[in-house]
Amino acid sequence: MSPRLLALIPVAVAINLVIGRIVAELALPVYLDTLGTMLVSVLAGLSGGLLIGTVSQVLAALLGGYVWIAFTPIQWLIAVLAAVAAMRGGFASSRRTAVWGVMCGVVCGLTSAFISYAVYRGVSVSGVTAVATLLRSLGLSLPAAVTVASLATDVLDKTIAFVFVGMLLRSLPRRILGRFPLAARSVGR
Amino acid sequence: MTSLARTAHPFTTGTVALAFTALAIVVPAPAGTIVLYAIICLVAILTGAGRGVILGLVVVAPLWFLLFLMHGVLGDSPRVPAPWGGTLSHAGVALAAVQGSRLAAIVTASLAFASVFDPNRFMQAAIAHRWRFDLAYVVVATLDAAEQLTVHARRLREAQRTRGLRVRGSLAVRIRAVPALILPLILASLTDADDRTLALESRGMTIKGPRTAFDPPPDTRLDRAIRWGALLSVVAAMVWRVAR
Repeated sequence: MSPRLLALIPVAVAINLVIGRIVAELALPVYLDTLGTMLVSVLAGLSGGLLIGTVSQVLAALLGGYVWIAFTPIQWLIAVLAAVAAMRGGFASSRRTAVWGVMCGVVCGLTSAFISYAVYRGVSVSGVTAVATLLRSLGLSLPAAVTVASLATDVLDKTIAFVFVGMLLRSLPRRILGRFPLAARSVGR
Repeated sequence: MTSLARTAHPFTTGTVALAFTALAIVVPAPAGTIVLYAIICLVAILTGAGRGVILGLVVVAPLWFLLFLMHGVLGDSPRVPAPWGGTLSHAGVALAAVQGSRLAAIVTASLAFASVFDPNRFMQAAIAHRWRFDLAYVVVATLDAAEQLTVHARRLREAQRTRGLRVRGSLAVRIRAVPALILPLILASLTDADDRTLALESRGMTIKGPRTAFDPPPDTRLDRAIRWGALLSVVAAMVWRVAR
């Protein structure tokens, strides 16, 4: 492991953990707890993103109960999609970033719904479960309620997260951006 | 007085927590998982990790409520009369009990372990056991970085508020506050990572080979016996479950 990646891992995982808490304090209907994973996938490439995603999920599980470890594949999906978006210049403008964010939200929402239904019978993270319970009380079947709730929250969350990462990458000083060729490519420089 | 959970070797507490997690999956629910949850709470309290039991309750209480609502109240037929009037789904209540007791056991075991986890002792133990240094460093540095970033985030929030940033109010107001709070924090973190790279390079991080632990925690016979006992109990539970 290179010293640069080794230095990035704690920072990126801490970003995932702490920004999730800041957003929760603002009582917003999103999580933004994958910004670090997205950022490192763009800065250091796919392998870095996969590593950050795994370490983040393991540490979040350690601090909040092992049960959420089943959602680790979501972190991997985010790393893959952010790396692909970076290779294709997906962070060059807000509009392009938002489109990639929606795509990521749909893929992650469907996967998350599957995990939530298959492993936790629809009761997992409190915010999404509250939406699913509301939909269930309106007459939707359990799989349909879980899928709609996961899709709605994930599309919103990942779109906002991608837009933030795009804003951040475009505002990075050239000194830092120059050390990460993929990041420079992602914003079209 | 220092508790048993804090003085034990870090690998011992970790192994016990993992063994309890595995047992929560293996033993039949809800009867087995309810008994296991009681045992975990008792072990945590007796060894000085009782804070984990309280933290576990804080995490699982909303999940218990949502499980009961989602499956018990809104679940499918056949329905049975509820003690307070109305009806409940019979299968839904059973499913909620299975999921609820299993989650409670797993969450409490992990949070009891987290409540006594000392990153620096863990790193010393990992080095003494010839683990890869970079893996041990990642665990410790991440927990340190999360703490530093939390302090930094709090300072930044106060600084932005003195400049007129509003963090309370309508959804639009709160969403507008996010970039002002998050972007400077991430930029500062990336600059910090740049400095860390230099520090790691100048301290021989790239040199391969074993490191010497300054102050490794003692790994006693009792520690090793507990670890083997935990492993054997999981194997025994799996054999018993398959044979049934």
